Amino acid sequence: MASKKPVIAPSQTAIHWLMVTLTIIAIPHFFYQPLWVALIFLLMMGWRVMHSWRGWLLPADKRLLKVLHSISAVLTIVLVFYSYGITIGRDAGVALLTTMAAFKIVEVKSLRDYYLSCFMGFFLVITHFFFNQSIPIVILMLLNVILLTSCLITANETDSSAKNRVKQASVMVLQATPLMLLLFVLFPRISGPIWGLPNDALDIPDSLPDSMTLGEVPPRNSAISGMSDDITIGNISQLTQSDAIAFRVKFENNQFPDRQNLYWRGPVLWHTDGKRWLPLNDNQKRLDKPLQIHVTGESTSYSITLEPHDRRWLFALDFPTTYPTTMQTQLTADGELNSREAIKQRVQYQLSSHNQYQFNPEMDGYLGYGLSLPDDRHPRSQRLARDLVEKSESSEAYIESVLDYFRQQNFSYSLTPPALRGDTIDQFLFETRQGFCEHYAASFTVLMRAAGIPARIVTGYQGGDINPVDQILTVRQRDAHAWTEVWLPNKGWIRIDPTSAVSSNRVDFGIGDLLPAERRSPRAIANNDRLVEMWQSAKNNWDALNSAWDMWVVSYGPERQLDLLKKLGMHQPDWQKMISWLALGIALIFSWIAWTTLRLKSVSQDKVQRIYQQFCAKLARLDIVRQPNEGPEDFALRAQQALPAYQQQIATISELYLHSRYRGDAVEEDFFDSVKQFKPHH
Amino acid sequence: MTQGSTDRILQTINAVILGKQHAVKLALSCLIARGHLLIEDLPGVGKTTLAHTLATTLGLRFQRVQFTSDMLPADILGVSIYDPEKHQFSFHRGPIFTQLLLADEINRASPRTQSALLEAMEEQQVTIEGESYPLDDPFFVIATQNPTHQIGTFPLPESQLDRFLMRIQIGYPDHHAERALLIGEDRRQMLKQLTADITPDELLELQLSASKITLSDALIDYVQVLLAYTRQTGQFYNGLSPRAGLGLIQAARAWAMISGRDFVIPEDVQAVFPSIVQHRLQAREHLQSADWAIEILQQVAIP
Repeated sequence: MASKKPVIAPSQTAIHWLMVTLTIIAIPHFFYQPLWVALIFLLMMGWRVMHSWRGWLLPADKRLLKVLHSISAVLTIVLVFYSYGITIGRDAGVALLTTMAAFKIVEVKSLRDYYLSCFMGFFLVITHFFFNQSIPIVILMLLNVILLTSCLITANETDSSAKNRVKQASVMVLQATPLMLLLFVLFPRISGPIWGLPNDALDIPDSLPDSMTLGEVPPRNSAISGMSDDITIGNISQLTQSDAIAFRVKFENNQFPDRQNLYWRGPVLWHTDGKRWLPLNDNQKRLDKPLQIHVTGESTSYSITLEPHDRRWLFALDFPTTYPTTMQTQLTADGELNSREAIKQRVQYQLSSHNQYQFNPEMDGYLGYGLSLPDDRHPRSQRLARDLVEKSESSEAYIESVLDYFRQQNFSYSLTPPALRGDTIDQFLFETRQGFCEHYAASFTVLMRAAGIPARIVTGYQGGDINPVDQILTVRQRDAHAWTEVWLPNKGWIRIDPTSAVSSNRVDFGIGDLLPAERRSPRAIANNDRLVEMWQSAKNNWDALNSAWDMWVVSYGPERQLDLLKKLGMHQPDWQKMISWLALGIALIFSWIAWTTLRLKSVSQDKVQRIYQQFCAKLARLDIVRQPNEGPEDFALRAQQALPAYQQQIATISELYLHSRYRGDAVEEDFFDSVKQFKPHH
Repeated sequence: MTQGSTDRILQTINAVILGKQHAVKLALSCLIARGHLLIEDLPGVGKTTLAHTLATTLGLRFQRVQFTSDMLPADILGVSIYDPEKHQFSFHRGPIFTQLLLADEINRASPRTQSALLEAMEEQQVTIEGESYPLDDPFFVIATQNPTHQIGTFPLPESQLDRFLMRIQIGYPDHHAERALLIGEDRRQMLKQLTADITPDELLELQLSASKITLSDALIDYVQVLLAYTRQTGQFYNGLSPRAGLGLIQAARAWAMISGRDFVIPEDVQAVFPSIVQHRLQAREHLQSADWAIEILQQVAIP
């Protein structure tokens, strides 16, 4: 029978250290997870604490406890499946890993168990990035990696102080950084389900709805799920409460169009039942005839980094004339830019747009849709349209008279309009007269169609904030907007924003100015202009840092990688080339480490000595090589004989060196200067 | 005064001992470092002349003892003789009671006699029948030794060799020096005409200032790697002792002072190193002793 190997137990210090580390790692998860995850985790940690403190038995000590421990672990797994269902997604996986790490801690007996727990900790660290990839989380997780590394050190070395162990771990993590960067840049990135996040990992806080329902004012701060098809919630007023970023724009050469032209085109809505507005269905959207776009004037080039919103829309400045083909982008008949797949992770694309354009000026296949109104709805609005048509000579004049109507009657812009019941359009136009973009866009469209002018609603975003730090325009959910396009013969689809007729500020200054003051800066400092200014500038810097982080690190995907590698000089990058570059890079890093480690032995840290070696190196270039055992004076004599022209200089340097190194009284700067000035040649 | 006086001494000696500047400088360094000197060489190359010249120029009282195999310790140290008139023993001081003792052909004497001398050198005093008699200060021994392979010699044990700070060789003079020697004055005649360049008090002063020569950390590093090398290389039965290290530093200081510097540089250590270590290290393989000391210096890089 083979003899049993002795079990090497990790020290108590090491176990305590690991318990603290794992708890620190797990805590942020508790906010996302159900309460019982935290309870089970802390229960298991508590067991181990009581073992150290009061000598409670562990599962390994008694068969009964072992059975109890195993049964509770199994029950926990059952609980996870019960709560999350059979398919293991992100949340279920994290719940399982968190609780099992705690179960393992109670079990740790040998060094092997200990290492296993440590590596579970490293996995737990990774899981945080399923939830959040922001800079603070990265910093926190970096600290956690250092702590875990110090756990590994602690298990092997108990006599050094905690401070030294953490220091050593930090140095190790720091030493690993070049390798990490290399892997980050060069490891082939593959787009696809294998490398993608689990389905439930997509957190979409807010996004534009795919339909619009007028009059439903949801309660403040209610959560929107962007993936929901529920039409009773999800309209633009709710988005104005969200500071979440929709996308970021970097204009080429930082040439910003005028704010009045910053209309970011999104879904186009046609169908209405009098209350709800819907886009064309996929069949209707199929492009039978090519779009006719006549452009004049200069184009604007820019790149957009779009946050995931789980829809296919790509936003573009009105009107996109070149668009990327990489994401199988297509432009629909009504001018929507769509990707083939839903946007589930941050993407970046290059565009250029023309500000002056004519969209299908001669013919449009959808004019019928642009005229349809539900039967027997909006009677008062229809009557108003008829009255105004009689007074107008042309379509243009009619449009102007409707806008005048908005301007002259007592309409006002409000982010918190009264709820609408019944015939929403009539109620808005003749009773409440308070609303925001979608009220105006919808009622304007109805008035156009009632007068026989084809019209449609375009949703998207208007404006955005330019960060002075990095010149990046950030468009947030609160910039969501809706406007109208009308079709006029020989002019095509023309953008008309009825909201601007009521509130020109919305378009001229952005929605930021219309928000209450406490949304713009914390209430506590709102009265102090200087503090507000400082707060604003700090916020700008932070935003710039975050957008750089999002653009360069978080959204570093296959396209970015190919782009960067091309810029770095890789010809036609593919994964084989990346792997060979990677191997080369790793080899270089390791040989550099080897070289410095070996060199450290011979290189003195002393500055005087370093400078003297520079002096020797200068002479070595002229084949006057100092032997390691050669005294400085002997070497100087030899050098003087070889270079009579520099006798004086060599003597001075040698004298200064001898004095600073062996007498300790020379002015070291004199020595450094004279070596610097020493430029011998034959 | 130090620079001038050491230069003058060297000049005087070099006028008598021709073509042996390095050996002469080493001998002077040894005395300034308060060390005893062992000269190993063939008869007739000027060992005695060197000792004599040193004694005279330094203004020291000089005694010479020719060692033979039948010599007794009392012949060197002195003897207590009963004085019938006074009814008591009185101590008759031996030749060791001088400032510079030339112990010629020390390896011809029996180990017993050798030990008596070396013990006195170490203790700086002579103890006979319970009475201690201090030796002079300064007190030096310059011993000469024939190469050990000659017949009728008792080689000094290693432990006693350690009492000598340096062992030097003089060697044959080169062609020009020998020619000058042959046609020049009689050396004995020259010795008689020599006068002291300094007084014994001045010599003590020189010794004191040598011990104050600046020794930097960098230089101590060098001495330590040299010592460590002899212990680790495996070429020798034993590495150098700390006493050898101390001796190396003392000698290097004296050498630096004679060279006109008030701080020690690696070259000083290198200059005295062979004479300090040659008689202290025993090579495992039969190596030409002069060579391996220099080989050590070549192997060890100056830190």
